[in-house]
Amino acid sequence: MMLPLEAAALARGRPVGDPDFLHFSRVCKDYPLRGGQTLRAIDDVSFSVTEREVCVLLGPSGCGKSTLLRMAAGLDRPSVGEIALAGERVTGPSRDRGMVFQSYTSFPWLTVRQNVEFGLRMNGDSLALKEGTADYFLERVKLEPFQDAYPEQLSGGMRQRVALARALANYPKLLLMDEPFGALDAETRWQMQELLLDVVSKDAMTVLIVTHDIDEALFLGDRIVFLSRHPGRVREILQPPFKQGGRLTTKEALYDAPGYHDIEKHVMRMMREEGAGAPH
Amino acid sequence: MTTRTAHATAPTPPTAAPARSAVPGTPWFEFKQTLQPWTRVVLGIVGAALFLGAWQIAGTSDGVPRALFPPPTDVGRALWRLFAEQHFAADVWASFVRIMLSFGLAAVIALPLGMLMGAFAGVAAVLNPLLAGFRYLPATAFIPLFLMWLGAGEEQKIALLLVGVVFFLITLLMDNTLAVRTELIETARTLGANRRQILWSIVLPASLPAYLDTLRQMLAVGWTYLVVAEIVATTDGIGAMMMRAKRFVHVDEIMAGIVIIGVLGVACDGAFRLARHVAFPYLRYQR
Ligand SMILES: Nc1ncnc2c1ncn2[C@@H]1O[C@H](COP(=O)(O)OP(=O)(O)OP(=O)(O)O)[C@@H](O)[C@H]1O
Ligand SMILES: [Mg+2]
Repeated sequence: MMLPLEAAALARGRPVGDPDFLHFSRVCKDYPLRGGQTLRAIDDVSFSVTEREVCVLLGPSGCGKSTLLRMAAGLDRPSVGEIALAGERVTGPSRDRGMVFQSYTSFPWLTVRQNVEFGLRMNGDSLALKEGTADYFLERVKLEPFQDAYPEQLSGGMRQRVALARALANYPKLLLMDEPFGALDAETRWQMQELLLDVVSKDAMTVLIVTHDIDEALFLGDRIVFLSRHPGRVREILQPPFKQGGRLTTKEALYDAPGYHDIEKHVMRMMREEGAGAPH
Repeated sequence: MTTRTAHATAPTPPTAAPARSAVPGTPWFEFKQTLQPWTRVVLGIVGAALFLGAWQIAGTSDGVPRALFPPPTDVGRALWRLFAEQHFAADVWASFVRIMLSFGLAAVIALPLGMLMGAFAGVAAVLNPLLAGFRYLPATAFIPLFLMWLGAGEEQKIALLLVGVVFFLITLLMDNTLAVRTELIETARTLGANRRQILWSIVLPASLPAYLDTLRQMLAVGWTYLVVAEIVATTDGIGAMMMRAKRFVHVDEIMAGIVIIGVLGVACDGAFRLARHVAFPYLRYQR
């Protein structure tokens, strides 16, 4: 999927590619309230995600992270402004933009393998099915031994790995994730973070991931978009300096990274300011 | 001798004791308990035996007119008589065919409607008020109409049994469809599935177990309309036999009819449960 040159560049340092691969342009979202009024959940948000980059949407609860992600997926429409992927305006959901939800969304009547193959079947992609795409991604998320199990037999972390493999097997241009590890315990959580980073780095995926966990944001994100709340606006865009030499591979590396504590404190302070005095 | 006494009175280790006696009655009243299959069977038989025993005692006690309130043994004898001498099997078969025909028809009508109404708010908005109205009409109110339109034959009975269940069935199947999680549909959309694919590959399989449960419960309601349907100008069927028995005050035969309907109902229920177990293996792992 990736040219060797690009893979090499990615291994050396920052992702290369279209700097406006995913572009939010003056996006607003209004929700109707009772009595004809509207609630502005997202206000004039503009930012770009570079191709092959992992971008994190971070912010306090209720700031509109899920709303932004759903609009990028095409599940909701912006009230004002537009979102474009690879120069093409997003008008509805498509296989180009795969999504992993916080809640478990494995189809319970399908086995793990059938879940992973679902997108390819829907799109009639028999070539990819024959070529063993499902095997490749099952192996990637370490679920090969469980390929004939049903989702109900799996733990929460394993089910999120099914969802990840299912989204990736469809070869989307963009992977969207809404707090995918939010429901997992701490240990499974960092294991999943490491696995995710490994998988998306190998396949040079462009990822937009929502979290309100600061460590998760700093560990995963090549770029972190911090949103303020009510209405959601871009407060700051950070690029952790310790990622200049390449992505991290373990959580310990994050804690040892130079400047980690300063940037963590900085984000923590923003979190506190945005959270304080908030109506929720 | 002394050693034996010592053994017998030796105190049980303190670790073993609490597990048994900490909560008196634990094996009976435990929340969300899973019983062994054989335990369930035994308990079910005990329940039925208690009922039959109480009935037997009441039916054979002094001062109770045995002809009007026969004990289970009399009903059993009546059952034997009915099957051996009065071709009751043909009656049972006739009733069974009526139920299956009418219920099959109801399912064929209700499944697509319920699924479409649950999947698409527009379809529900068109049909819901109308169906809500029909649901409140007692099925028996249609008897005179059906007698005029369809005559006193088989069609009229099937129609009555159909009307008795179909409106409830549509509404319940719609609710089953509405219960499909939005995230499953949205996930399928982001995987590139189109409307038709989502209907057949997500909405239908996600609702099927609930559909089966709904059908099972509404089939029970279908059986309850059977006697009403067979009272009107019928010569065969369990209900017709019961009406004949009433004319000659054969209470034991009426009760035999009731028992047979109950047994057939339980058998249908079991068939549905078995079908669910076989058709949806993944539900066995549900926590
Ligand atoms: N369907 C809706 N109707 C009305 N208001 C909504 C709707 N969806 C979201 N909102 C509002 O928009 C704002 C942003 O919601 P959103 O779910 O995007 O926040 P979030 O950042 O994802 O929060 P969390 O971290 O708790 O998931 C909230 O104030 C919420 O009340
Ligand atoms: Mg959210």
